[in-house]
Amino acid sequence: MDGFEKELSESLTRRPAPPGLKGRILAERARRAAAKQNDRHVMWMRLAASVAIAAVLAGAAGWQWQRVEERRRGEEARQQVMTALGITAKALDKVQKRLQANDGKEE
Amino acid sequence: MKMRVAAVLVLALAAMTCVARAQQEKLPEASALEKDLAARASDVTEVTLSKQMLAFAAQFMDKDDKDDVQTRKLIEGLDGIYVREYAFDKEGDITPEVVEKLRAHYMTGEWTPMVHERETKSHETSDVMMKIVNGEPRGIFVLEAEPKELTIVLILGPIRMEDLGKLHGISGLGSLNIVSKSTKASQGK
Repeated sequence: MDGFEKELSESLTRRPAPPGLKGRILAERARRAAAKQNDRHVMWMRLAASVAIAAVLAGAAGWQWQRVEERRRGEEARQQVMTALGITAKALDKVQKRLQANDGKEE
Repeated sequence: MKMRVAAVLVLALAAMTCVARAQQEKLPEASALEKDLAARASDVTEVTLSKQMLAFAAQFMDKDDKDDVQTRKLIEGLDGIYVREYAFDKEGDITPEVVEKLRAHYMTGEWTPMVHERETKSHETSDVMMKIVNGEPRGIFVLEAEPKELTIVLILGPIRMEDLGKLHGISGLGSLNIVSKSTKASQGK
């Protein structure tokens, strides 16, 4: 038997697994599964957080836009009131002047 | 039993709402004549403000501005403001017939004429009417016509003359008090 055959024979000899290998493999598998699940959980958490932040931002933007729009409409309404009262004032001023002119004529 | 009480309460609430709505004056629709005038006028200003709109506008009055505070006080109780101002490039569009038709359109039994002035030479007319309900002013109508300009003002709701008079910033509104006094004086003569 030359060296090569001896080496081959030794390599093919059935040896018992080191003690605790199975446990370590199972533990590693469980750890990897847990890590994977944790990663998925984190991913979902991030997604949910992103959706929540987007919803909050959209809500805030909508609320702000609504406030701006309401303010604009309010200012418009206020301006209309002022225009209406201004026209009323002008008309009443004319009536007053006409009455005073007529009073002057009568006197 | 509870259902009956609830039903009675709902009915009472509905009845109260109906009464409140009935008491609230409604602004008129623009007449065909006004639409025709608007179509021919070179400059048109139309303002229609309902009670809700007035209440909304009141929220945007400056609390630190004296005139705004007075305006708010004035408009909060009103049922509506209807203002039309038509300006024409040339004379002839505002005839005495047009003015009379407009006057007749707005004049109903509840309105009391305060001022009714006619200038035959210049074709200028002024009408001021007050709506008096239970001795309280509940509206004012002003129709002011010149050869090239026509103004219609209809303010519905409880009008406090003293509040109008305080609006010095809006020049002329104080005239209402003077118009009122002049009319009373004329009536006294």
